[in-house]
Amino acid sequence: MGVTEKVAQAISHAPMIALLGNPNCGKTALFNRLTGSRQKVANYAGVTIERKEGHFMSPAGHPYRVLDLPGAYSLTAHTPDEAITRDVVGGLRANDGSPDVVVCVVDATNLRLNLRLVLEIQRLGLPMILCLNMVDVAKKRGIEIDADKLAQELRMTVVETVAVQSGGEKGLLRALDEMWPVVPVKPQPLAAIDAVSVEDTQREVRRILSLVAKNVHNTDDRSEKIDNVVLHPVAGPVILAVLMFLIFQAVFTWAAVPMDMISGGVEHLGALLSEHMADGVLRSLLVEGIIGGVGSVLVFLPQILILFFFILILEDCGYLPRAAFLLDRLMGGVGLSGRAFIPLLSSFACAIPGVMAARTIQNPRDRLVTIMIAPLMTCSARLPVYALVIAAFIPEREVWGAVSLQGLILFCLYFAGIISAMGVAWFMKRSAGSKAKQALMMELPSYHWPNLRNLAIGLWERAKIFLMRVGTVILTLMVLLWALSSFPGAPAGATHPPIYYSIAGMLGRALEVIFAPIGFGWEICIALVPGMAAREVAVGALGTVYALSQKGDDLATSLTPVLASSWSLATALSLLAWYVFAPQCLSTLSVVRRETGHARYAFYMAGYMFALAYSASFITYHVARALGA
Amino acid sequence: MTLAPSLINLDALAAGKSGTVVHVAPTNGDGGEGADLARRLMELGFVPGEKIRMLKRGMPGGEPLAIKVGNATFALRRYEAALVAIQPE
Repeated sequence: MGVTEKVAQAISHAPMIALLGNPNCGKTALFNRLTGSRQKVANYAGVTIERKEGHFMSPAGHPYRVLDLPGAYSLTAHTPDEAITRDVVGGLRANDGSPDVVVCVVDATNLRLNLRLVLEIQRLGLPMILCLNMVDVAKKRGIEIDADKLAQELRMTVVETVAVQSGGEKGLLRALDEMWPVVPVKPQPLAAIDAVSVEDTQREVRRILSLVAKNVHNTDDRSEKIDNVVLHPVAGPVILAVLMFLIFQAVFTWAAVPMDMISGGVEHLGALLSEHMADGVLRSLLVEGIIGGVGSVLVFLPQILILFFFILILEDCGYLPRAAFLLDRLMGGVGLSGRAFIPLLSSFACAIPGVMAARTIQNPRDRLVTIMIAPLMTCSARLPVYALVIAAFIPEREVWGAVSLQGLILFCLYFAGIISAMGVAWFMKRSAGSKAKQALMMELPSYHWPNLRNLAIGLWERAKIFLMRVGTVILTLMVLLWALSSFPGAPAGATHPPIYYSIAGMLGRALEVIFAPIGFGWEICIALVPGMAAREVAVGALGTVYALSQKGDDLATSLTPVLASSWSLATALSLLAWYVFAPQCLSTLSVVRRETGHARYAFYMAGYMFALAYSASFITYHVARALGA
Repeated sequence: MTLAPSLINLDALAAGKSGTVVHVAPTNGDGGEGADLARRLMELGFVPGEKIRMLKRGMPGGEPLAIKVGNATFALRRYEAALVAIQPE
């Protein structure tokens, strides 16, 4: 047996630890610390919505498996993500037994709330370790906790951890080694938890705290002071709007230099290949298919990273739940649950995590509405399409002093997505005739400085995801598209470029019948089809299509000037409108089917979005034409 | 349900004011959902005897509410807060 196999076997028999605790107390940070993985960490409740498994070796050389679970305030599951936690801890899942050790992670700055869950879990009779996490923050606030006394009162091992600090997990590892070997215990049924009422449990928490802790009431004055401004009825919304606006400005202005460098490099490479290769099929594939197509997508990496730079900072410092607070009236007004905010916000990265994050919503009807409108939030894959068209058609100038017009238009496009999502939600709730009131119940966590390491990892992960997509899905589609666009070649005496007569050209011309009323020529129609697989591909496809449409020597690998000279403004605006409602990428639809459990919801979604996109483009195109664009 | 004269519902507490939770009860005629909400509120720490403070109220209509309970702050909508009866200070 090889070493890796031995390790694999040792791990499959290793004791299973479950990390359990209230939302946002640092379970995932601790999980990452233990296993060296890079699961997403942020400062709001409900980041982790799935059961994640990892493994590690303790300093004494014992193997452990560890489960990271969605946070919960109790094991009475109200939402699908909490049900995962309940089922894992109660051993109700078909394929795993109950965990061998429960590591209860608590936020040391708020034991009053966190300890109740610990007392409840204790009734299950599983071996437990209590992790006083964020002890550093608690000490700074003057909260003194006597860990030994707490251990005596609770009759379990208590360790101090700082999950965000390297080495902050050592106390837990030591405690696990002391516990070895772990003897499996059959837990009590979950009903044992309800044997004592919530009030009595809370009374017990108060009794324990009065014995083991001092200054537990010391609260976070700094967060309160920030909230006084940020949640102010007038200043708050203004700050939120300015912040959003600045982000979109930065996406355009900061990205200009790195984008020029990338596109310069891509053009240079294209020119170099054209110069040194004989004219032929291979040169066409490399220059027009791969460099023209993939290069035009690659250029958007800086903009995507800038957008995520801001999103990650806002997530990490704790501002997001405040934004949800400020927008709650709007959300409630259209009948959405306050909890819909986080899933909708996640959808700005990609609709897929957004649709999955809707698991934190209790009411099934609300959850469905949130899932249905999540793809109307402008995902990062749409950014390249917007940015390309804006750069080609919107002059790069400043309005009202220092505001970039391009950034302003981008802001408006994002806004259009949000407004239409609210409209669709309102319509769906109204037609369902639901009058039930929607709950909010959202924790507003303490602010903290963004962790630079997290930020760097987050950006790196984003860049990796994007480059992986470019290198796999997008590259494959580009090569395929190039082939379809190059063969068969032009007949003798052709008046159009060869692509016009190719398979893709024929397909594009067939689709043009449908899309001509909204101003799309056959070239755009060709790009729309691969855009269904991944929206950025539409940009790459336009790159390839227009590179192949060029005649003779004026072969350009830079798409922007080509578009500016081939499309009317009305067509450009119509394409932007189309992509606000952009018919689904296929992976989103398949996640919708999985999360709702019905294929019909995926079809409803595709249908309503197609209809909206077509109508919006039709109106935009004809209004723009009437105005002379 | 009639309340003792000095008790008010949490949703009526002005911003900046404090109080102590007296009881959490489902609204009448709301069936299972009200009871579920009441339980959930207790799980968040709105348990009789706990001190609470209204930090901020949103605009317009004084909704949502940012309420400090224990060392945590929660955002609630009005009708959720209305389930919590408090003794204002």
